[in-house]
Amino acid sequence: MTVAAEAIAHRSRRRPRLKRIAHASVPYLLILPVIVVITAILGYPLYKLVTLSFQQYGLAELIQKKGVWIGFDNFSSVLHDEVFWRVLLRTVIFTAANVGLTIGLGTLIAFLLVRVSTWVRILLTAGLVLVWSMPAVVAVQVWVWMTNFENGILNYVLTELHVGDYTGHDWYGSTFSKLGMVTLLIVWGAIPFVAITVYAGLAQVPRELVEAAEIDGAGPGRVFRDVTFPVLKPIFLILTSLSIIWDFGVFTQPYLLIGSSAVDTSNYLMGVYVFIEGYSHSDFGRGAAISLLMLLIVAVLSIFYVRRMVKMGEAQ
Amino acid sequence: MNVRAMAAAVLVAALAVVAVGVGGASGGSSANTLTVWLQVDAQSGWSEVVAAANAQFKAQNPGWDVDVQYQTWGTHLAKFDATLAGGNAPDVIEMGNTEMTKYSAAGAFQDLTAISFPNKSTWLQGLAASGRYGGKIYGVPYYAGSRVVTYRTDLFRQAGGKIPQSQAEFIALAKRIGAKNKAKTFSPVYIAGTDWYVAMSFVYDYGGQIAITRKGKWVGTLDKPAALAGLAAYKRFFEASSRAPAGSNEGTPPPYDVMAHGNAASTYGAGWFTCCVGDYKNKVAQFVMPSHTKGQPIPGFLGGSDLAVPVGGNKDKAAAWISAFTDNASMTALRAKGNIPNTTSLLGTSVNERAARKSWFVPQSKNWVNVENGNVLRTMLQRILSGRSSIKDAASVASDNITYTLNQ
Repeated sequence: MTVAAEAIAHRSRRRPRLKRIAHASVPYLLILPVIVVITAILGYPLYKLVTLSFQQYGLAELIQKKGVWIGFDNFSSVLHDEVFWRVLLRTVIFTAANVGLTIGLGTLIAFLLVRVSTWVRILLTAGLVLVWSMPAVVAVQVWVWMTNFENGILNYVLTELHVGDYTGHDWYGSTFSKLGMVTLLIVWGAIPFVAITVYAGLAQVPRELVEAAEIDGAGPGRVFRDVTFPVLKPIFLILTSLSIIWDFGVFTQPYLLIGSSAVDTSNYLMGVYVFIEGYSHSDFGRGAAISLLMLLIVAVLSIFYVRRMVKMGEAQ
Repeated sequence: MNVRAMAAAVLVAALAVVAVGVGGASGGSSANTLTVWLQVDAQSGWSEVVAAANAQFKAQNPGWDVDVQYQTWGTHLAKFDATLAGGNAPDVIEMGNTEMTKYSAAGAFQDLTAISFPNKSTWLQGLAASGRYGGKIYGVPYYAGSRVVTYRTDLFRQAGGKIPQSQAEFIALAKRIGAKNKAKTFSPVYIAGTDWYVAMSFVYDYGGQIAITRKGKWVGTLDKPAALAGLAAYKRFFEASSRAPAGSNEGTPPPYDVMAHGNAASTYGAGWFTCCVGDYKNKVAQFVMPSHTKGQPIPGFLGGSDLAVPVGGNKDKAAAWISAFTDNASMTALRAKGNIPNTTSLLGTSVNERAARKSWFVPQSKNWVNVENGNVLRTMLQRILSGRSSIKDAASVASDNITYTLNQ
């Protein structure tokens, strides 16, 4: 009897533990496919990239399928190249301008969406979604047509509106104007994502909080600073981090809009620079080293935001 | 918390994507099929010549088939790199003559020195040179194209112009045409500001060069007096004749488009430009761009293509196909299309062929493509034409850059 009782007691003690283990392992099992996929499609290329960055790997090595191990030579040659530092500085400024404009204008449009009547909102949202769904390459081509010096509609409209004589004006004449056009295109393309996300976030701001603040005499600026913004902070942090990552490594717009015949050391952004060094010059090892440095820099740039996010997570 | 963890994961994934950007493409060939990469020019211009060569090859090699895959200039090298890495490169590839040296030096091609191709002894020198590296033949000349002036006969007649015999005469004529057509976007001779093929013709016309070899090292020579004189002449000519912005290039918009839009009386470029001038197709003719020395042609850039056999390709069969595609019958057909044949034995006296008699070519260094991709010459030309720096300063920056790049 005692044996049986013990056995029962034992079983009853074991059962819940098994159950608990099974229970606890469910989340891990659920994310397992994701981890496998991420390892396969990101982890392996990343591993190859790291090994590539320590090799002399040019066209000849590509044909032999065998690189020469050269340690940190690729990294030191990049870090001693003044072009790299100039491109880095230019890209940081470019990223700051693009992210600032995207978030700022996107937020303003989100506020607009809250205020307008339903049908205007539907129209606006539809427009934003259309912009968002436009492939970058197509957008660049349309932009090129609109802004070309010979018969672009932009010059025509500006001239017709008597803004000045823009006949034959070249919008890509200087580095500043080249990157300015790229900025316009990128901000235009990125605003919908920010606007729609912030608009969705605004629905989460408790109405009564805003009303209470207004009753206490807070103006719109004060309401935004002390009520709306704190509630939306997580959303802004994510939007800003993602925008930094996208804009820092942007390639399609600058390369196609400035054009392969006009990209040079005076207007490279990081994405274009790594492409030229790696692919055009067939120096794949050096290209790999630059892209790893890029990864490091973006990580440093966004670490502030990631930390804030983690802290907020802990606080809750 | 969970939302934030997810956001953090998204962030990490996005970060990783920044670093990883490896692309690929595939060529691929099966047994008894010869894979040939030609540029789309052949598809749109002389597909019947390709078909005839294929038929001849198949008749001589029973059981073999030919798979011709058409490529575009902008992307074919990246695709070729990928196939070299993947070990499935085509058996025959068409290469631009400025692209050959880099790949020959890297060991991308098989040695074709011992094979007796048709007309091998009379190959066009300028073109054959691009296929040679280290004393071996890696590329068979395919065809060339010279640069000529394509002009609107009506506008030239209106300005009372006969064909100019020197650059000074051409500038005077351009000014007369400009005086009759005052629209701000109208160019008497449309030349894109950074069109370095045109600008370097002026440099070679004045006895200058891009770079020379001295004691086994490359030395950029654009800062030498002869080259500077050529650049100054280019600037004078450009300012008198073209309304293109200083930073414009010959790709966007293509010069024939500018003519088609009625925005140019003439342009200096490829011989086939007459094809694409729209409504003016029956009002255009061509002449050889004059030198500054009266009665002489300017040395023009000889663009062209070679056919090469990548490593891993079936060398014997590839050579057989190349022979069929470059024999007298094929070359005669190509010539009829307005191309310059690969052999002097078929060379005639068309405007194209007269322009090809005097030509220049880029420095044959494996690193030359890096100068091209880095847009070193274009940047120099923009600086000169926009007045942002003096000819001498811009040229010496470019020249130092070229010396450095070619010797790497």
